[in-house]
Amino acid sequence: MTWLIWRQHRTEVCVLGLLVGIFGITLLVLGAQAHDLFPQGPAHCAGQAGLDDACTSSFRRLDDEYGFIENLLAAFYLVPVVIGAFLGAPLLARELEDGTWQLAWTQAVPRMRWLTAKLTALAGVTIALTGMFTAVLTWFRQPFDAWEGRFQYDSFDLQGLVPVAYALFAFAVATTAGAILRRSLPAFGVAFGAFLAARMGVALLARPAYATPLTTTEPIAPKSGNTDWTIEHGYANADGRRLSSTEYYDLESAANRAGTTLTQFLREQGVQQYRVYHPADRFWTFQLIETTLFIAVAAALVGVVVWRVRRRVI
Amino acid sequence: MTELALRTEGVGKQYRKSWALRDCTLALPAGGVIALVGPNGAGKTTLLRLAVGLLAPTTGMVEVLGHDVTASTPHTLSRVGFLAQDHPLYKRFTVAEMLRFGRACNLRFDKDLAERRLAKLGIPLDRRTGTLSGGQQAQVALALALAKRPDLLVLDEPVASLDPLARHEFLQTLMGAVAEGDVTVLFSSHVVHELERVCDHLIVLNNGRVTLAGDIDTLLAEHRLLMGPRTSADPAQGSSVVETVHSDRHTTLLVRDGGLPTAPGWQAHPVALEDLVLAYLRRPVEAA
Repeated sequence: MTWLIWRQHRTEVCVLGLLVGIFGITLLVLGAQAHDLFPQGPAHCAGQAGLDDACTSSFRRLDDEYGFIENLLAAFYLVPVVIGAFLGAPLLARELEDGTWQLAWTQAVPRMRWLTAKLTALAGVTIALTGMFTAVLTWFRQPFDAWEGRFQYDSFDLQGLVPVAYALFAFAVATTAGAILRRSLPAFGVAFGAFLAARMGVALLARPAYATPLTTTEPIAPKSGNTDWTIEHGYANADGRRLSSTEYYDLESAANRAGTTLTQFLREQGVQQYRVYHPADRFWTFQLIETTLFIAVAAALVGVVVWRVRRRVI
Repeated sequence: MTELALRTEGVGKQYRKSWALRDCTLALPAGGVIALVGPNGAGKTTLLRLAVGLLAPTTGMVEVLGHDVTASTPHTLSRVGFLAQDHPLYKRFTVAEMLRFGRACNLRFDKDLAERRLAKLGIPLDRRTGTLSGGQQAQVALALALAKRPDLLVLDEPVASLDPLARHEFLQTLMGAVAEGDVTVLFSSHVVHELERVCDHLIVLNNGRVTLAGDIDTLLAEHRLLMGPRTSADPAQGSSVVETVHSDRHTTLLVRDGGLPTAPGWQAHPVALEDLVLAYLRRPVEAA
């Protein structure tokens, strides 16, 4: 079976391996240069320590020289779906569209053993490729994360455990769609669409609700670097009531009329700033919750495939 | 013949709302060649896929060589060879890789035998199967199925897509293999002629139902054509008339009466297998 699986899927595995290799090496080279900006290591500059002169200048150079790459990293959102769906879509669909399922399942290897071997091997490749790429990306982002924290959408979604979970989800959707639609390309399309929809829905709606966010209300101060995940912020009056944007603009024009700076004026009015946020140390909790979520859906979809093959629906 | 190659009991297969096969009860003896005949869409492919365990029946039971096929143990699977319609192969595999696939996925696989067969046909082992002609692909698929040394070989429309020459060569290889070992062959076809030459047993499937099944010699002995003056009466006096054909002055009846005395004024003739099959295919069948 091992030889057969390799022979049937070696093209996808090689192409994906090559892509992961090229991007991985590029990131390693650029990342080494970015890391060199922090002689004591990026972790040293995380949190309040980041405010000292040496760290500030390192961060400024990082932003000047490598900021554009950080923006490009957003494209790597798609790495898990490309890996997972490329490997999952043809697993059953190619056998079904070429009619070779009739060949594969009439040899002496029972279909359930065949399916188990294929699912294990290809899910394993999915995990390995996504895991390797994520490891490189996680390392690459360390200097950026020291400044911005790991909770932003361009950081949380690219590192830790979740990319592997996304990839397994895409793999499972593609395999299931392939089993039902019996065609590789539509299965790939379905996986792509489902991936975008699920990722966006979860990241924007579900993720902020994984835990109850904390709220702080404090005197207005200049913005300092913090690595928490702020999901809402604004101003509250002296009684602690949050101000609507209309009230805020009214205060702004009042400040203009009074001829003082806005900050000064707000302080005099007793206005404070409030922040609703998830503290940075919730990172791994949130990673685990989101990983569990995507892997559970993937497992359920694999269950559907196993059921269909076992019951000879296909 | 103690062992049955294929036994089905009340087998039906439903796809969504329509039944592809209904109330199919068969007992096919091991040994010899069995033809499954019917028009396109009669349910032949469904019946064959049920026989090799690719599909599970909605109702009833399928037993191959005395074992329930849906259990699909390696042992049962290795005793049955299947050649699906359009002889699917992994198109990007070379012929040698197809043989390696066969050896990797089977308990017994006679690779030498397959290589010898292919060498005799001049099919190079290093060519990708997708670049071979249709006839050669069919031969590779057949060599693969025969290398399992199956006790039952099931073929779905094996020659339908082949040109006359390739068809002839294919049947020659197949019949050669039958002559060499004791393999039971079950194959479907919508081509009716030539059956008599190669088959021992016949199943006629129409509209998802078995309309005729039996040993060919027995079937031919049971049926005969009665010819006489044009009449609307039934000179055979029974429900045994399979088909009635009227011309201007004559009436021809196909009857299954096992050779009862002929009514006065009527002549009895033996019926050719092709005409027999066609008569059963023309009979209206209630939809499955």
